[in-house]
Amino acid sequence: MLSLAIWLQQTGLMRALRESDRGYEILLSLHVSFIALFGATIAMSNLRLLGVAPRGYPVADIVDQLRVPKRIGFLCVATCGFLLFGMKAEEYYLNVFFRIKVLLFLTVAAHALIFRPPVYNRLSESAADSPLPARAKLAAGFSLVVWFGIVCAGRGIGYIHPPPFSHHF
Amino acid sequence: MQIANLLNSSELTFPILECFHIAGFIIAIGTTAIVDFRILGYGLLGQTPSQLMKSTRFWTLGGLLVAIFTGLGLYSSDPDTYYLNLSFLFKIACLILAIILNYTIHGKVAKADSTSGGAKVVACISLALWGAVIFGGIFIAFVQGGL
Repeated sequence: MLSLAIWLQQTGLMRALRESDRGYEILLSLHVSFIALFGATIAMSNLRLLGVAPRGYPVADIVDQLRVPKRIGFLCVATCGFLLFGMKAEEYYLNVFFRIKVLLFLTVAAHALIFRPPVYNRLSESAADSPLPARAKLAAGFSLVVWFGIVCAGRGIGYIHPPPFSHHF
Repeated sequence: MQIANLLNSSELTFPILECFHIAGFIIAIGTTAIVDFRILGYGLLGQTPSQLMKSTRFWTLGGLLVAIFTGLGLYSSDPDTYYLNLSFLFKIACLILAIILNYTIHGKVAKADSTSGGAKVVACISLALWGAVIFGGIFIAFVQGGL
């Protein structure tokens, strides 16, 4: 895996980005800007499931409408994130917070596999004014906690400067 | 008499505060952007801009307050460095403008459910200002020296 990371950061695109004047800072700013857009759609969907906001609209209506913006936002966040990783792939690979972030992304994927079929894909079946089952609230709360963890781990990456203190797993 | 700042006495306090600072900004800027994109004709088209603003304003204000208060805490850890950092000053100028816009013209435009050319310009200015706040914040760590 380390050799793959080294190969990636030696590719022409990553080298050009790394050697550019303000490439890293601009990409990082774009990454965080897209996180704000994407994060708000995640937060609004889950807060609606929890019944706190935005009230007054059927839960399926809000969650379904946010699906496309969420996907576009994720695509933008992931693209910037991949380029940021590629620019310093070796350094990121050895960064303990980056590894935590990857683990949390895997948790998000597991969350989607577990909760999408019984919760997110069946929201239209629940009446607008009926309370949502506890499972839906659990899914929403868990999602919010994991995404907050991803934000924290993402920020933590910047606190570890090379040479990294972690060792290969 | 010197007063010890809690942020400077613990290695963990600053990063933890920073995480809440970022989370606050994500909520504040993201919810404002949802309204902006609706004015521009994208996103939650099943709701009007005024309905969206009404639904999100509590979260926008809450996120903003969290971001501002944690930001004051972060600033207090090393005020001289921040005060002299051009990127920090740029961020604060854009933040003040964005907040003023949000609670004046932007609010009026959203309340009126206007999607005219003028309303779209206001939405674009709002997005640009909040984006500039993020860029300013990120660049603080990369801009050496300053004034």
